[in-house]
Amino acid sequence: MNTQSTLLRVEGLSVEMDVPAGRLRAVSDVSFDVAAGQTFCLVGESGCGKTMTSLALMQLLPRKARLSARQILFEGRDLSRLPPREVAKLRGDRLGMIFQDPMTALNPVYTVGDQLAEVYMRHRGASRRQARDRGVELLERVGIMSAAQRLGQYPHQLSGGLRQRVMIAMTLMCEPSLVIADEPTTALDVTVQVQILQLLKKLQAEMGMAIILITHNLGVVARMADAVAVMYGGRIVESGTPGQVFGQASHPYTRGLLGCIPGREPAGAADCRLGSIPGTVPSLVGETAGCAFHNRCAHAHEACRHGVIALRDAGAGHRYRCLLPATGRDIHAAAQEALL
Amino acid sequence: MNTVTLDSARPAAKAGKTPILAVEHLCKTYPVGGGLFRTPRMLRAVDDVCLTVQRGETLGIVGESGSGKTTLSWMMLGLLKPTSGTMTVDGKPIASFSRLEIARKIQPIFQDPYSSLNPRQTIGEIVAAPLVVHRIGDAAQRGRLVRDIMDKVGLPARFLHAYPSQMSGGQRQRVAIARALVLKPEVVVCDEPTSALDVSVQAQILNLLQDLRRELGLTYVFVSHDLGVVEYIADRVAVMYLGRIVETGRASQLMTAPRHPYTQALMGSILTPDPGLGLPELHLGRGFPDPLNAPAGCRFHPRCPEAADICGSAAPPQRHDEHGMVECHLRGGSPGQVISWKTGT
Repeated sequence: MNTQSTLLRVEGLSVEMDVPAGRLRAVSDVSFDVAAGQTFCLVGESGCGKTMTSLALMQLLPRKARLSARQILFEGRDLSRLPPREVAKLRGDRLGMIFQDPMTALNPVYTVGDQLAEVYMRHRGASRRQARDRGVELLERVGIMSAAQRLGQYPHQLSGGLRQRVMIAMTLMCEPSLVIADEPTTALDVTVQVQILQLLKKLQAEMGMAIILITHNLGVVARMADAVAVMYGGRIVESGTPGQVFGQASHPYTRGLLGCIPGREPAGAADCRLGSIPGTVPSLVGETAGCAFHNRCAHAHEACRHGVIALRDAGAGHRYRCLLPATGRDIHAAAQEALL
Repeated sequence: MNTVTLDSARPAAKAGKTPILAVEHLCKTYPVGGGLFRTPRMLRAVDDVCLTVQRGETLGIVGESGSGKTTLSWMMLGLLKPTSGTMTVDGKPIASFSRLEIARKIQPIFQDPYSSLNPRQTIGEIVAAPLVVHRIGDAAQRGRLVRDIMDKVGLPARFLHAYPSQMSGGQRQRVAIARALVLKPEVVVCDEPTSALDVSVQAQILNLLQDLRRELGLTYVFVSHDLGVVEYIADRVAVMYLGRIVETGRASQLMTAPRHPYTQALMGSILTPDPGLGLPELHLGRGFPDPLNAPAGCRFHPRCPEAADICGSAAPPQRHDEHGMVECHLRGGSPGQVISWKTGT
C-alpha cells in the first residue's frame, strides 16, 4: 500500500464498433494511472463505457470492437501492442479478473477444485497435486471453511457469497499484481456485499495487488477507492481522490449523481424529493460533439455543444471535464436547480 | 411543507380504522425436489406473517434474497393462494372478491420493465389492456383515459404508438406504472420497481411514485432489498428474514434505532457515499441462510453476533409495543436503548 509506483498507465484508450445504426464510440480517449497496491474505481451508469474499458485492458473485447490507444503500459509492457498470445499468458497470471455474476463466470460442469487447479497448472506448470494444495490454501484465505471438502463441490451447490469467494480465490491463485473487478458485489445481498468488500481489502493488504473496481454504486466507491474516475458517455468526466470527487464534486453530472442517492439526509428531512437528473443517457452512435452531458445539464450553454471539452485541473490531481468553474456551487444547490 | 401533507395522508397511527389490506398468520409452503418415490421437502417461503396496511400509507418490506418478500407480495396481489392464513381487503376476506374485483383494487408494478411489457404491443395498447379486460368505456373513452394517465406519469403522447424496445428502462417503468394506475386502484404492490434502473433514473421514478401517491391518494406496498430506497419512500417498514417478519416499525425509527440484530446488520451495511468512513464491521457469521433447512429456534441465530443458548432451541417471542414489533429473545426493549455489539469471533 505504501508504494506509489505506477503499475498501469492507460493513455488515449478508445473503443469503437460498427452497429446497424452507425459507428458506436463506447470509450473515447480514456487515460488514467493505477498505482501498485492501490484501488482505482471506475464509476458510472450503464452504457458509460466502464465495462468496455476493463475488457479493453484484458483484451477481451467483442470481436467487432476496435481498440486504439497511445499506450496501455502494464509492468513495462504495452498491452495494446503485444500479440494476443502474450496477453493470454498475462491473463489469469499477472492480470486477474472478477466478474459480476459468479454463477455465469464459473463453469457449472466442473468442480470448484478443477477450476481452481486449471489456472495454476496452466500458468505455473504445477502438478495436479500442487495445484490442489494451492487451491485449499486460497479457499482458506478467502474465508471458506472446510476448504478441502469444497473442492469437490459444483458451483450450484454454493451460495452467491461463497461463489464470489471462489471466484476471488481463483483470481488470486497466481498472485496477480492487478485485479480488475467488474461489479463484484452487485449480484449479492447487502450484508454479503460488505463481507466481500472487506475480504478484498484484507487480501489487498496481505498480497499487495492493485484493484480496478468497476461499479455503479457510489457508496462502494467512497468506502473502497484510493482514486476515482467518473465516466459518462464513454469519457472520464471527473477524477481525483474520493475526497475530491465526492467532497468537492465539480462536474454537474457527479453532483447530480450524488443528489440522486436516497438515504443521505436523515429520514423525514425538510424536503422529501430526491434530486434527479432529467432525461436519459445519450446514444453514443454517430458523431457526438461537445459535452455528452449538455442535454441533461442545468448549466449548459452554447459553448457546451461544440468541440471536445478538455479536462481541467482543479489542483492536487483533481480533474473535471466541464467549461463551468468548479467553485461557487455546492451539490445540493446544483441538485435543486436540476429539479426546476 | 411536505411533512404536513404527508402526515395528513397517513392515518396509519390512528387505531380503529379498517386496514385496506390485512394478512394474518399467512403461510406459503412449496414442495421442493421429490420424485416418483421420494417425498418432496417443504420450503416455507412465508411463515406465519401478520401485517396490516392502512389506507394512504406506504409499507416497505425489506429482506435479502430468499427471505420470502416476493412470495408475500404475490399473495397480497391475489396471484398466489396461501397455504394457510387469512387475508382481508377492506375488512372482507379476499375469497369474497372475484379475480377482476381484486385487480381493480390492487395492481402490481414489477421489477424488470424489460420482461413485464409485451414487446409486440404498442405502449397505447399495453396501457389500455386493463381497461379492455375490465370492459371500461368505448374506444374513445379508453383513449382519453390512456392519454390522461400517460400524461400523469410523464410519458409524452408520441409514445402511444411506440414499442417497448424503442424506450429506455426508465420510460418502460413509467409505462408499467401507467398500466398499473389506469384502473385507479387503491393499492399498488411494487416489487423492486427501481432495482433494474440506474441511480439517476431511479430517483426520477421514486419521485414520480411519491407525487402520484399524494395526487391519487394511493396506498403502496413497496418491496425492496435497497434500504436507502425503502427509508426514502416508506412510512412503516417490515423486515423479513427466511420467511418470517422479524421486526416492524416506523421507517425513521427503524433506520435510526433498529432493535433486531438482523435489522441492525442490514442498516449497518448501507454504504453512503462518504469517503473516509471505511467499511462497516458487521460481525455477522458466514452461515448462509438456507430456506430448505431453516435452523431451529430463531432463524437468524447462526449468523447472530449475540446469539445465546436459548436462541438455538426455542422460537423467539414476538413483542409488540407502540413502536412496532420485534421477534427476538434478547431484544424487546425500547428502540432508544443503547445498542452495542459484542466483539465478533
